[in-house]
Amino acid sequence: MKIKIVLAMMGVSAIFAFLLLKSPSMPSYNPDRDYLDMEIPILEAFITAQDSTVIELPIGHYLFSQSLILDGKKNITLRGKGIEKTVLSFKGQKQGAEGIRISNCKNLTIENMSIEDAAGDNLKITDSENVIIRNIRSAWTGEVSTQNGAYALYPVLCKNLLIEGCEAIGASDAGIYVGQSQNVTVKNNKVYYNVAGIESENSSQVEIYDNEVYENTGGLLIFNLPHLKFYGEDIKAYKNHIHDNNLKNFGVKGSIVSTVPRGSGVIIMATKKVALYDNIIENHKTINSSIVSYEIYVPPKNKKKKKKKKKKIFTNGIRQVENDFENDSHYSAYPGQVFVYNNEFNNKHWLPALDNDFGKLWIFKNGMKIPDVAYDGIFPKDYYLKGKQINPEYKVCIINNGAINFALLDAANDFNKFTNEVGNYECEVEFEKSI
Amino acid sequence: MSSLRYFYLVGISLFLTLSCKSKVDKEIVPIGRKVVPKNAISNHSYNEIPKLSEYRFFNGKISDLKPAENVYEYELNNSLFSDYSQKKRFIYFPKGKKMSFRPEGVMEFDVGSIIIKNFYYPSDFRNPEGIKQIIETRLLIKEQNQSWKTLSYVWNEEQTDAFVNIIGGEVPVSWIDHQGKSQNLNYVIPNQTQCKSCHMLGKEISPIGPIAAQLNRKNIYEGMVHDQLEYFAKKQVLIGLPPQEQRPLFAIWNQEGSGTLEDRAKAYLHINCAHCHNDLGPAKNSGLNLTYYEQNDRRRGIFKPPIAAGKGSGNLKFSIVPGRPESSIMIYRYNNTDPGIMMPEIGRKRVHSEGLALLEEYIRSLQM
Repeated sequence: MKIKIVLAMMGVSAIFAFLLLKSPSMPSYNPDRDYLDMEIPILEAFITAQDSTVIELPIGHYLFSQSLILDGKKNITLRGKGIEKTVLSFKGQKQGAEGIRISNCKNLTIENMSIEDAAGDNLKITDSENVIIRNIRSAWTGEVSTQNGAYALYPVLCKNLLIEGCEAIGASDAGIYVGQSQNVTVKNNKVYYNVAGIESENSSQVEIYDNEVYENTGGLLIFNLPHLKFYGEDIKAYKNHIHDNNLKNFGVKGSIVSTVPRGSGVIIMATKKVALYDNIIENHKTINSSIVSYEIYVPPKNKKKKKKKKKKIFTNGIRQVENDFENDSHYSAYPGQVFVYNNEFNNKHWLPALDNDFGKLWIFKNGMKIPDVAYDGIFPKDYYLKGKQINPEYKVCIINNGAINFALLDAANDFNKFTNEVGNYECEVEFEKSI
Repeated sequence: MSSLRYFYLVGISLFLTLSCKSKVDKEIVPIGRKVVPKNAISNHSYNEIPKLSEYRFFNGKISDLKPAENVYEYELNNSLFSDYSQKKRFIYFPKGKKMSFRPEGVMEFDVGSIIIKNFYYPSDFRNPEGIKQIIETRLLIKEQNQSWKTLSYVWNEEQTDAFVNIIGGEVPVSWIDHQGKSQNLNYVIPNQTQCKSCHMLGKEISPIGPIAAQLNRKNIYEGMVHDQLEYFAKKQVLIGLPPQEQRPLFAIWNQEGSGTLEDRAKAYLHINCAHCHNDLGPAKNSGLNLTYYEQNDRRRGIFKPPIAAGKGSGNLKFSIVPGRPESSIMIYRYNNTDPGIMMPEIGRKRVHSEGLALLEEYIRSLQM
């Protein structure tokens, strides 16, 4: 009898072990390619480009051994014949890290082509103004891998930016990444097989809508990080379909996105003035949406030395977790004026992913349920004003999302006061006119 | 038994390592079929003259580089080191056009002037006038708007003509050096953007070589030895030439009688470094000024700490430590071929050992 029980237990644990250890197979993107070499004339067009140049790339799959670079020009158009028709591939490139690298341009449109397999970022645009990225498929081919480049679409330090009708596939950091930019629209894009799907980082006046974000590790990340030139606030994310972002995290170790647990739908981190509404957010194995402080990403202080050593390895724009955020006097590590309303949350998964600490937490504290909205409950020193009033700067409101599972983690106090009670957060945030 | 097991484990791990490796090797880099565009790719048509021969700079067989009318050969006292390539230089002046004398900077050229520099390797350096391989011809063209344009023409293997090149490239070259040793390397042709990394003065493109102190020398014209500047004046392509004693003159870096060790080192640094390391050049932020005329010791590098050298400093403290070349950043960087460390940043793949020896001797001679 006893033996039978032991055997049954062994069997059960074996099944569990199998489920836990079996690394989920990674998806692939394998388009048919018939590579052509038109490198010299296309390079010539880039090198000799002047103000008002229009570069028209013909139908074909073109292979390049080096980056295509443009700097300091006005009114530039770079146009293909369509996502399926014009493909620029940087597979095996010998020179440069990026596929296309554009800097210091004004009035720039890039449209109607695919950009693939750059060693680093597929499309990087820095320090530019009035930028349109339209109908671009930016991808890494083959099985999704840590060896893939970091960012598929990577505008940074830009002003007036529109990204629409694009696809981002296979980035080992973020598919669509908008960094330290102002006045940004990200709409009608399809983003999948990346570590982070769409990431708005230290950007302001950002609207993210009508996007489909699925099968990434994390769907939509709204982040604000310390020690950068610009900080971000005023983010609206609406009418997005964010679902099934349960892909195994394949980010480069040490990068901030490598800390994102798979199965994260939306993460709002340390950002102020965020409106998340009218979205469908569903089928995530860890959390459908979460509101967290930067502190939750910071490793315990005794690991400081080890982290510092690692810091040197990454030079290619990969952002790391910085544990000296407290020394940045311009930075607030906490979310605030966050308004989550009118979203539809669903989940077909009944068991959380157990390969991360959150999943385990749900087992012990949340009756195995996966939260639709989780709030870390790590509060700054000035969270309460006199008379236990919450400082409006840190207000978080969650209403009209149907019957959701809400979790306040109380992560600051070892989850002691973990609660599902949402009452304290049923309020409204009024935004200034700028949003 | 246990040693056998150990052996077995090593075998397995070796197998695993190898099988992983072969997986990486299998990631073959695809090759594209070469195609040419049917229509123009860019609306910005660049209409450069496609062949060097169309300029008609040279008479007879083009690779003999025999100057045509209005084309004047010139030489400089010191030449930038570019991987041991030799250079034949000419200036083309349209009829009636000329240059005006400038005591310090580059001569003032009339619109339409073209400076022509041919890069070549003699197959045997002991016989410099023998068989040679011309790699490229670089042009600096003074345009209507008074600005300079850079163009490079790359020679074909048959040496029958050279063709405009925008994107740069690499050409394998080989030669027998002065010691009779055979040498080879991949000569790098810069792309059009890279021309600016040296030829930038403030915000404008500028020639580097043709300054009075560098042109002030003898040369052979029509079989006779002439003073180069006076010959130009006589031919009316140079105006404003002052009397002999007022003409500046650089020492020649590898001719001991031409000046003191310091003079020769300064001249060498001027032509190899000062195109960036001057008050208007791309390296102005470094605080290191290597023009011949700089008087301030610290700005010349003596006990000057690095500003933005990064790993280029080699953990050394000063650009020049008098008496100690081995502790001087200047020597560390000049004796390097790592693109992140070496100086100049582009234009060579080799160390110029003869020039390096001169700089070492110079630094060794400086007193603390």
